[in-house]
Amino acid sequence: MSVGTPIDRIEGRLKVTGAADYTSDRILDGMLYGIPVGSTIAAGRVVRVDAKDALAVPGVVAVYDHTNFETLHSHGRSSLKDGIVDEHRAPLSDDDVQYYGQYVALVIAHTLESAQEGAALVRVTYAPSAVRNAPITPDEGERKLGSHRGDPDAAFAASAIKVDQTYRTPVETHNPIELHATVAAWEGERVTLFETSQAIVNHQRVLTEMLGAKSDNVRVLTHYLGSGFGGKLWPWPQSPLAAAAARKLGQPVKIVITREQMFMNVGHRPKTAQRVRISAGTDGRLTSLQHDSTNHTNMLDDYDEDCAEATTYFYSVPNLRVTSGVAKRNVGSPTSMRGPGAVPGLFATESALDELAIALNMDPLALRLRNVPQRDEGLDIPFTSCHVAECYELGAQKFGWDQRTAAVGSMHRDGMILGWGMAGCSWIADRLDCEVRVELSPGSARVFCAVQDIGTGTYTMLAQIASDALGLPVRDVTISIGDSSLPPGPMSGGSMATASVIPPTIAACKDALHKRERAAAQETVVGYGRSNGTFGGEPKKSSHSFGAHFIEVTWQPEIARLRVRRVVSVIDGGKIINPKTARNQIEGAIVFGVGMALFEETRYDPRTAAPLNRNFADYVVASNADHPAMDVTFLDYPDYDLNPLGARGVGEIGLAGVAAAITSAVHHATGVRVRDLPVTIEDLIGR
Amino acid sequence: MTRAASLDDALRAAASSQYCAGGTTLIDLMRQDVMRPERVVAINRLPLTSIDTTADGGLRIGALATNSDVAHHERVRADYRVLSEAILSGATTQIRNMATTGGNLLQRTRCIYFRDPHSACNKREPGSGCPAIAGYNRNLAVLGTSEHCIASNPSDQNVALMALGAAIDVRSVAVTRTIPIDQFYRLPGETPEIETVLEPGELIVGVTLPPMRGWRSHYLKLRDRQSYEFALASAAVAVRLDGSTLADVRIALGGVGTIPWRTPAAEAALRGATVSRDAFRAAAEIALRDARPQSENGFKIELAKRCLTQALIEVTA
Amino acid sequence: MTVKGDEPIVGEKLATSLMVNGNLYNVDVDSRTSLLDFLRETLGLTGTKKGCDHGQCGACTIHINGQRTLSCLTFVAMHDGDEITTIEGLATGDELHPVQAAFLEHDGYQCGYCTPGQLMSAAAMLDEPWGPDDADVAEAMSGNICRCGAYQRIVAAIQAVRQAKAIS
Repeated sequence: MSVGTPIDRIEGRLKVTGAADYTSDRILDGMLYGIPVGSTIAAGRVVRVDAKDALAVPGVVAVYDHTNFETLHSHGRSSLKDGIVDEHRAPLSDDDVQYYGQYVALVIAHTLESAQEGAALVRVTYAPSAVRNAPITPDEGERKLGSHRGDPDAAFAASAIKVDQTYRTPVETHNPIELHATVAAWEGERVTLFETSQAIVNHQRVLTEMLGAKSDNVRVLTHYLGSGFGGKLWPWPQSPLAAAAARKLGQPVKIVITREQMFMNVGHRPKTAQRVRISAGTDGRLTSLQHDSTNHTNMLDDYDEDCAEATTYFYSVPNLRVTSGVAKRNVGSPTSMRGPGAVPGLFATESALDELAIALNMDPLALRLRNVPQRDEGLDIPFTSCHVAECYELGAQKFGWDQRTAAVGSMHRDGMILGWGMAGCSWIADRLDCEVRVELSPGSARVFCAVQDIGTGTYTMLAQIASDALGLPVRDVTISIGDSSLPPGPMSGGSMATASVIPPTIAACKDALHKRERAAAQETVVGYGRSNGTFGGEPKKSSHSFGAHFIEVTWQPEIARLRVRRVVSVIDGGKIINPKTARNQIEGAIVFGVGMALFEETRYDPRTAAPLNRNFADYVVASNADHPAMDVTFLDYPDYDLNPLGARGVGEIGLAGVAAAITSAVHHATGVRVRDLPVTIEDLIGR
Repeated sequence: MTRAASLDDALRAAASSQYCAGGTTLIDLMRQDVMRPERVVAINRLPLTSIDTTADGGLRIGALATNSDVAHHERVRADYRVLSEAILSGATTQIRNMATTGGNLLQRTRCIYFRDPHSACNKREPGSGCPAIAGYNRNLAVLGTSEHCIASNPSDQNVALMALGAAIDVRSVAVTRTIPIDQFYRLPGETPEIETVLEPGELIVGVTLPPMRGWRSHYLKLRDRQSYEFALASAAVAVRLDGSTLADVRIALGGVGTIPWRTPAAEAALRGATVSRDAFRAAAEIALRDARPQSENGFKIELAKRCLTQALIEVTA
Repeated sequence: MTVKGDEPIVGEKLATSLMVNGNLYNVDVDSRTSLLDFLRETLGLTGTKKGCDHGQCGACTIHINGQRTLSCLTFVAMHDGDEITTIEGLATGDELHPVQAAFLEHDGYQCGYCTPGQLMSAAAMLDEPWGPDDADVAEAMSGNICRCGAYQRIVAAIQAVRQAKAIS
């Protein structure tokens, strides 16, 4: 039995020897290098692009702008079926500039150095217009009413114990180490696109339309992805730029964007402003919950972060209302970033619960246990399963929570003040459409699916699942993924890929075994499996993962040093296919959460709307020395409603709730309640 | 690019050129389009790497001695510990293996407006203005600023060298001279584009440290994350104790000044004082007395006071 | 990178002789080319990765004359006569370096993109003067950012190698 065992990643050797082929590693004969040039205004028009000096650089082959490029078709953000893109305007399609850094030209050259030289010599003249850049408020924008039940206004007014606060999360930028890249190579009408994509099937659909091509002629490949955290789900403008330039010039074109462009041209988590009104009886039972949130979006697209995504079901409360709105600003298009919606949303609601616990003079853990949902009260349907109470209890026990003294600054160790905080968390558990083909030969098998491994361990899990289903050792199972010409697979987003591939993989293996019974001894047989997704449907049961984080921070006021030292997390994430890779996912998400809580913020210039700290030194992510000691436990209860193995995805649940648990701990140590992330030194010692 | 084979080669090639040793500042800024030399003179092969005891018991460090070699050198660890700690708190091992003592002396500010070629910046383009003053200035200076420039000096090594009273040996085709470090850096004033007293073509060839027998020294660096980040505030301290009395003391602050910031008034207040937290905090108040906060970095004043107080506690413990 | 004035410049070529993973290369290189771009685009040794091109992430870590350094922040032309080791040269034939084997066992990676840089740093730090604790290893490795956050495992993998070395 392989499923459930912590085997090494099957592609591990390729990764540790530098042999895994990532997109920007591709070198093709006659390949040209492309460098996009970004605007230095956030709003206005391009008046003129002067390419004279750039074209004079030896090695520069072409300079494109909106006056001389191919027509690309814009693609509206529609649906999974039709293809999703967050920045739907095609690059270089007109003289309109809507955000700082928007691509206004493309330089193509024989060498990287010539292209860089040329790009620096492109001179652009603009007619700037007024920049929309104001801070956002929680009630801004046309309000959309979401889930609601009971009469929250009346219940809030009638309750003696209540909290009414606004919580803010800043712009966060994904910043995977791998830069977004595209290598486009045409052969006649057929194009191969090596992409950095978390969703190659979707990418193929979108690019087919943008290029005005036939679907059969467009192939997207991502064998290995240097992660994405949601930012590489949907196509970004360097992709159609490279593809169209390659078509125009008749030679392959590689574009690898710069780290600066990673802050401007490939999406970000939008800033949120969220007002939470929560009330309870003196017994700690919640009487009302209201969650009103706004996120910024860019001028041309309407990206809704959906902050209240978990609010509607994660708490047992009879009176509830959620509203949302978007505030248009001159900024690049926001996009999904690890745990969109519930991650910033749970920061707000779990922080409010922490404040409510103090108002109640109640242990924050006890407050959670008092209000554990027994069913999805928002949709009024049962959960497939929910073991969050056990997450809280087991986590508390492992952490030693009963040793906590509630008074601020009351706990010490080694001359440092301790802060102990906690929070609950939840994330969706759904499936997407998926097809799998299995070729079974005597003693070996090959599994084919157009899914991708973004570091989450998909290669290995597929091998484990097929190994069990076929009765073959893992080493005799080969996995072919990352190619859009294979049977269509799910995106690696929303933590849905694993649950999606399980049913069709098992079905394809069964089909292959069945066919083998009727085949000749040495024949290779082919089995097929297909399953429909659950995501976006009308469920009979509500399917989610749940968890709890218990966090210790240390505070040394004499040097104003705050550090996250110790984290205990307990996750109800279904059956765990591979405990080694799954635990790594949760730990990595906790580290991501340390960054979210303590360090990360993309700052924009109030006058120019340029992202000011657009590099890896000034946008601070957690370094190795920042990681706490992490103890992760999986309850490992299978959720058979989702698939025959009972597995859910665990890529995002680990991040949800971490920031609130950290600010809860920070308050316990310092008495400072931080409602605007990130927590900074000046929050704690004064400005 | 000229790849200099000898010191004379390098000095002769210097006109309208930029020296390149480790490259960790130059290449970074060239790629930002901030520094635009017509020609680069690669000096990484010159025989300027040795670290030797001087006749009076001090230490001479060749300009091309790497940060790593200096930080781990047994004499530096023994007698100039603040320098070792400062270097090891900066950057990362990979960068310290490449960065040179001379190059580090000339490390440039991290101000994001300086580093953005599309932005106004009086240091990069004199007269164009300083957007930092009303803009993003959280990591910039509170000491030594002017209305033309508030850029902070980000180095750790140089703060330690300032506290140690280093002397900088410089050569050009015509001139050989030694510059005490407290005369090496220029305040921005009305000419923020001039950062040091080096004349065009001059090359730093070495750094000399005075003998420091009987002194204890220490470096404390405070920043947002635990590693791989420039200082928000740092303190280099060196003390000579006579029982629990401070016979002599030297202090320099980092992260808060437009140049590495020696604090003679604070030193004077501590000379002859008895070791105590209160005395240290009082000296720290003096050290930051002239600090002027910008819109976002006022917290650095209190942070620097705590940093200096704690550094003095630790070095006298 | 531009030059002063508006005249475009031809990339000057400099004869450079250097060893990479035990192989000698005599090449004429563009003076502007970084060691990283030379390794990747000219030699096709794409194991070393570009994460930022400004010395801020560590993904491009290689060894020059046995010391770990960043290949993005140096010109290839300045390394005439030097010995470069990249991730492709870390293993000995089919036999993985102990840190490579330890990363496999401890799952010291997720997406694998920062991994070559992590491994080159890890291999080098075994011979550097660091204290024995996990915190020492974490500090030693802080010049390699892992956005996937596999830090706890990277430290565990390296400590396992150090303990095995100490015993043997």
